[in-house]
Amino acid sequence: MAEKQQLEKQAGDNPARAGLVAVAAWLVPGLGHLILRKWGRAAIYFLAVGALAVTGLALRGNIFSVTSDDPFGFLGFLADLGAGVFYFISKFLEMGGPDVSRAAGDYGTRFFATAGVLNLLCVLDAHEIARGRKP
Amino acid sequence: MRLSHFQAMLLFAFVISLAFALLAKHRIGERVKYALWTLLAFLLIAVAIGWLMYPLSR
Repeated sequence: MAEKQQLEKQAGDNPARAGLVAVAAWLVPGLGHLILRKWGRAAIYFLAVGALAVTGLALRGNIFSVTSDDPFGFLGFLADLGAGVFYFISKFLEMGGPDVSRAAGDYGTRFFATAGVLNLLCVLDAHEIARGRKP
Repeated sequence: MRLSHFQAMLLFAFVISLAFALLAKHRIGERVKYALWTLLAFLLIAVAIGWLMYPLSR
């Protein structure tokens, strides 16, 4: 309890800065931790999210668009969007479009969605650190 | 890119275990232990479920 109060005191009460850290962390995986000088975590989160996203793209998974008709497609879009810059790069590259006729393509869809959701967890982590609630 | 089912599972389990360990634990020793346990659990449970589903594939 005392440790938590000390962390909050050190971080200072600056919700705007924590918000900016969260946006940076979403946009480029690991950038939020980099701003907070957590070098190791920043590198590992970037590599983890990047590895999942690049593998998902290379396996020709389905990268959902906002224009998806069904609700599950929209949920898929939200998960994919969580990957930040990797989502925009994937939309720009569009390597021949998705191929979910094979199991690998279906795995690719899951890999990319997991990259997005994992990055959202990293965003929350960066936000909590910036607010002084986590070491 | 060509990955076997097992290679895809191994890559997925390794990356997620590493990230979860960093998110959930704060000391290095705890992180290593947590990452190894999570990786092992991912692999063992996936293989066990695979064998449980084996009769259904025939």
